[in-house]
Amino acid sequence: MSSAPDTPEQVNTKTAWISAKAAWRRFQAEQESSPEKPDTRIGVAASFTASTLSPFVGAYLVAEGFRPEISVGPYNQLFQVCFDYKSFFGTDCGVICLLWRIEDLMGEELDRFLNRDGAALGQACDKLVALAGAISTLRSTFSGTVIVSIPSVPTGIPADISSLDHAAQLGHFHRTVVARFIEIAANLRDVRLVDFDAAQREVGFQASFDARQWYIYRQPFSDAFLHSAGTKLARIIVAGRRSAKKCVVLDCDNTLWGGFIGEDGLDGIEIGTEFPGSAFRDFQRLLLHWLRQGILLALLSKNNEPDVWEVFDEHSAMLLKRGDISAWQINWQPKAENIALIAKALNIGTNSLVFVDDSPMEISYMQQARPEVTSILLPEDPAEIVSTLQNTVLFDRLDITDEDLGRAEMVRAELDREQLGAKMSKQEFLETLGLKIDLFQAGTNDLGRVTQLINKTNQFNLTTTRKTLDEVRALANSPNHRVYAFRISDKFGEYGLTGVVLVDISADRRTWTLSNLLLSCRVLGRGVEAGLLAALASDAAAEGAVEFIGVFVPTKKNAPASSFLPDFGFKPDGDRWRLPLTDAPKLPSFVERI
Amino acid sequence: MTGRVEKIFAEVLRLAPSSINDDTSPDNTPRWDSTSAIDLTLAIEDEFNIKLTTKEIMAMRSVALVKKILSGKGAGDV
Repeated sequence: MSSAPDTPEQVNTKTAWISAKAAWRRFQAEQESSPEKPDTRIGVAASFTASTLSPFVGAYLVAEGFRPEISVGPYNQLFQVCFDYKSFFGTDCGVICLLWRIEDLMGEELDRFLNRDGAALGQACDKLVALAGAISTLRSTFSGTVIVSIPSVPTGIPADISSLDHAAQLGHFHRTVVARFIEIAANLRDVRLVDFDAAQREVGFQASFDARQWYIYRQPFSDAFLHSAGTKLARIIVAGRRSAKKCVVLDCDNTLWGGFIGEDGLDGIEIGTEFPGSAFRDFQRLLLHWLRQGILLALLSKNNEPDVWEVFDEHSAMLLKRGDISAWQINWQPKAENIALIAKALNIGTNSLVFVDDSPMEISYMQQARPEVTSILLPEDPAEIVSTLQNTVLFDRLDITDEDLGRAEMVRAELDREQLGAKMSKQEFLETLGLKIDLFQAGTNDLGRVTQLINKTNQFNLTTTRKTLDEVRALANSPNHRVYAFRISDKFGEYGLTGVVLVDISADRRTWTLSNLLLSCRVLGRGVEAGLLAALASDAAAEGAVEFIGVFVPTKKNAPASSFLPDFGFKPDGDRWRLPLTDAPKLPSFVERI
Repeated sequence: MTGRVEKIFAEVLRLAPSSINDDTSPDNTPRWDSTSAIDLTLAIEDEFNIKLTTKEIMAMRSVALVKKILSGKGAGDV
């Protein structure tokens, strides 16, 4: 008998799982006459009939370039396999998968629990300990990859997730068993968990069970579920055998934000809380998630470099900051040349780079010039960016090592601050920062920088009143005015002269009018504002003042400063804001004035 | 002539379409095992856009019987 040629017309590709099964059949047919031996031998032991899972695991591995061989052990022999895997799967098996269902391993306990036997749940958990013991035995005798499943919600039993007492009944049993098993498994060294519970959520509870297959073949799962579960299993196998990508190289315009910074300007690009800006912002959130997993971020953009950094430094809606970027090439040179410079700067191979761009031309050029780079074309519709890239398996890895977590830190110290911010509450974060604030009357040497800030700062700027150097100098030399400047530093470094306050003092010396107050955006969000106002109030009080008057002039760009005055207790009075110094904020405990 | 049913059997069982005929059954076709029976069921349901009952699935013991069941369900040209 000869094999049928599998032409595309014969293969029904209506659904992903049908084509996966067809691909697995094709591979097996080829393998029958191929001289090449399998390179990945996988043994599957399950508490249910698992042979229908094989095509989905196999097809994924074949698509990834492996030559898998999958042996399914006899039904419900999990423990036997753990104690003597060789007699089931031989000695050259590289992966053993242990797949179990609550229904099979503790169906009797579940039944009693649902009939109000309070002891049954504890007894079920005792069985988990026995299972863990068996897995531990396997682990100590088998040197390959061990993968164990997290069970899905039981199906084909009288209890159902739609019943009103699900939370306390079936749901409680399932959640407790899963939580306990994950706890126990955490103590098993070098055992991978594959989350079949998540696979069931992906396809839906009802859609995960196939009653007809269950009754005819004792095979409970639908193809939709098996496709999801098999893919997860295969991804773990691939991740253990292949090094993950290390860096995402990003275009900027229409990739990190909508529009072109060079043409549309800081106010014209789309990034923020409204669509389409929100879709780009969510993409940045995904990139930050990857960054925290140890994936480096790099920029590869045809732009004027200062324009791009202006977005990173000044645009308040940007989640990505300059410090998140480990390497960049922002110029008009061909991207295929520039990407090699990025790899060199990071000391990694170009084959560990993923290039993301919205231009089909750039993607196609990169694919031809540097086929070893994984090039991903962003979908045209911004709404699809995250869903397209979120499921990429390029960054699959089994263990996030300390080194992964520290990789970007080593490149840029700034990352440290981002990570601290992510893990702690804002207050805890601020307390660890060691913020030092130095508020002083600007001296002659400071006036150039002060004037520059007055004229450049758009966002945290209360009045956006521009001034010449001569005007600033006149204010500094006037007894009725003050030109305050400040520097800040924290445990991550010094930020230089990053803020200015201009004060008009009334004839009776009792009222200080803050005719302008501005802060560079890169120092916001760490308690600087409170510290600044407290320090200023303390100086004013020392000179006999009793009240601040604040002024706010809204512009297109200064929304970040709009709530500053009311936030710190200023009360509106006509077009001004007043704050008695007795109500001024005290220096926060986490700020030191030097 | 190879009909839609024969095509499905050839594809799922990895056999030449010409080797599939009305007499093809699990008894004379080793590849028609319980695993491929599930695949056959799903492929037939997909091709003819129908849902088979357990009774029908269990009655599908030859290609001829499959065709008969499909005709009985008004599945159209088999």
